[in-house]
Amino acid sequence: MDLEKFHNIGTSTDWIVMVVYFIAIMLFGTYFGRYNRSTKDFFFGGRRFSWWLISFSIVATGVGSHSFIKYSAKGFEAGFSSSMTYMNDWFFVPFFLFGWLPIIIYTKIRSIPEYFEKRFSPSARFLATVLLLFYMIGYISIGFLTLGKALLPMLPTDFTLFGTHFEVTLMGVVIVIAIITGIYITFGGQTAVIFTDLLQGFILLFAGFLIFIIGISYIGGLGLFWDMLPTEWKLPLAHFNEPSSFNFVGIFWQDAIAGSIGFLFMNMGLIMRFMATKSVNEGRKAATFNILFMLPLSAIVVSNAGWVGKAISVEFPDIIPPNTDPDQIFVVVANVIASPGVFGFVMAALTAALMSTVDTLINATAAIYINDVHRPIKKFLKQLSDDAKTTDRKELFSARVSSVIITLLGVLGVLAFRDFPTVYEAHGYFHSTLTPPLVIAIFMGIFWKRFTPAAVIVTFIGGIALMVLGANYPALLIKPFAHGTPMDESHPFSYIRALYNLFVCFAVGYIAALTTGYQKKFVGWVKTKSNEKIIVYSMLTFSIFLFVGLVFSSSLISLHPESYLEIFIFVLLSLVMSAMVTLLVTYFVKYDPVANTLGLTVYSLAEAKEMFKGSKINDKEGEKIKVHWKFKEGDEDIIYFSKNDMKRMQAEAGDLVYLSDARKWMGGLKSVHSVFGEPHQEDGIVYITSENMQQGQFVKGRILRAEKEM
Amino acid sequence: MPSFFNTWLPFIYLYGVGGFFFLIGMIIIRKSGALDMSKKKHRFWYKVLIFGFFYFVVMHALLIVAALYW
Repeated sequence: MDLEKFHNIGTSTDWIVMVVYFIAIMLFGTYFGRYNRSTKDFFFGGRRFSWWLISFSIVATGVGSHSFIKYSAKGFEAGFSSSMTYMNDWFFVPFFLFGWLPIIIYTKIRSIPEYFEKRFSPSARFLATVLLLFYMIGYISIGFLTLGKALLPMLPTDFTLFGTHFEVTLMGVVIVIAIITGIYITFGGQTAVIFTDLLQGFILLFAGFLIFIIGISYIGGLGLFWDMLPTEWKLPLAHFNEPSSFNFVGIFWQDAIAGSIGFLFMNMGLIMRFMATKSVNEGRKAATFNILFMLPLSAIVVSNAGWVGKAISVEFPDIIPPNTDPDQIFVVVANVIASPGVFGFVMAALTAALMSTVDTLINATAAIYINDVHRPIKKFLKQLSDDAKTTDRKELFSARVSSVIITLLGVLGVLAFRDFPTVYEAHGYFHSTLTPPLVIAIFMGIFWKRFTPAAVIVTFIGGIALMVLGANYPALLIKPFAHGTPMDESHPFSYIRALYNLFVCFAVGYIAALTTGYQKKFVGWVKTKSNEKIIVYSMLTFSIFLFVGLVFSSSLISLHPESYLEIFIFVLLSLVMSAMVTLLVTYFVKYDPVANTLGLTVYSLAEAKEMFKGSKINDKEGEKIKVHWKFKEGDEDIIYFSKNDMKRMQAEAGDLVYLSDARKWMGGLKSVHSVFGEPHQEDGIVYITSENMQQGQFVKGRILRAEKEM
Repeated sequence: MPSFFNTWLPFIYLYGVGGFFFLIGMIIIRKSGALDMSKKKHRFWYKVLIFGFFYFVVMHALLIVAALYW
């Protein structure tokens, strides 16, 4: 069936509303750019915000990335089950709230690869950086693709400018969007992103419900809407294993398992939001509130245009034809039911939210670049002789330049995803393919102390080799995991491949960790040999040769797609290569199972907290107090309270303190973390230095709230 | 009436397999001491985690019942 595609939707009023909206949002973001004093502020927003502020700012990121376009498309095709990916994230919340979240905050890591270096080795960090950059840039590409698909129906098929004829193409639209996005992000930084996302979170919820209310009223009421839809369309979960383009079991493994861990554990954009909360407890509140309440609401917000579109197509097929391109249904429905101007506002809210997602991801990818590529290279070249302020200024400049380059790579990445029938399937394939090695590596690193550098590196390298074999020979390798899902020849097992990929990555890593003793014995034996170097470098060469051969096997050798013997040989070669990689890592990498796990696994969070503070933890629960502030000469990072005030807070000199503007609605924007100094005798007064004042941007005469952190 | 493959099987699979991961998570965070039940705040979070799981179970069950019988 040919899909009906729309062009030139909308009026000039809608375009004016959109342009005004975008300018307003950019000015709003630029205002908060002044809170960036360093790369720490640029990327992390200075670890100061309240849970509610972060929770609402995450809405725009979540809604933007799991966008109106793709969920409306699935809502139009399959009904209420389009919402299932928004309500399947709870299973990994215990792991996140009491595992990963405290670790990332207490260890003060600035990026996920940095965790890999501390927990495993620099080589693990290098591989994690490469994979994470692929993941993040792929995510940016999906964002650009969605933005392009959202705007394309509003544009003409072609136009003439200064006598030159231009055709409007998806890639052309993506390039223009990328330029606008790039300009915004390079001048904003994390604080700007948090605040624009906060505003947009509210606007998006409003716009989404507005579409739902207008749509239901257009149909004739909720009762009529409910009765129009067939029963299958009202079910919240899709059919177990059919069709290949949208089935429950595939999406469970791709989204509820790989996607949820990926989103909570390795989406740097989201993690940086949690790192911007003032404490671990506030981060827990933000995540919980978001998953329990904001995600189910977001499910309605992003999908309802598809549901309304389906109901209209059943009753009025001349207004919305049943064969409308699903990726265009959101725009088509919004245009049909909303008046000019309102349509422009809804489209502005949608595109701005998508830009927020892309902005957040670009910002996060730049953070990975600075922390895991720029700094290690500078360290290697021994160019760290500048003073801290000069280094920070140079890094801020590099962060902005890298944001532009990442934006360009994101645009190029669109080429890999644009041929999928819908954005939903492109995103599903992306998650199933790119997340498993990192998901398994991070997860096992945090929750299993016995997971070694050899295990993590073989998870990456052996896992990728087996994943590539699965991608090349899906009928043999992925089908046994498919739960009866039919195979689409053009995009085989887009979702359920996640289960195969997770399994192979887990299996090689698990076996490698279990056989650590044997690896050490083998390495010990090799070291006794006179031809030790020859053995080791022969194994290294052979491993590289095998890895390259396996990854490019489909281009080098043409096998029968269902030849069991040939695939068996390939799988065996992958396992031989994995075994050699494991032995080589054990030989080369120095690893201390005690030092490399201290504070870095769920089993030593108390130590992580002590390392964060730098001294013994004071867990006594004290009051939060309100104080007036006075200026004190000096630039040290210490805050001075009275003896009685410290007693009320159960604080001692050397403990950590959080001081913020007492106006709760500011959400911690004007706040500072510091250390308690020796007490004075003036109750209700806190003495702060110029350094604290600059960081907190406190206003003269305003009351502050103080609380002991630990 | 839609088949079992369309109604309760996905529900059972979601909370059976997903519930298994959830349970493992709860056991690990308690055994490791990351969730310390001697702390008042942690006891609150323990209840929130259990509540969250059943909150989604009940929500999905109600939606399926509504789709089938309402």
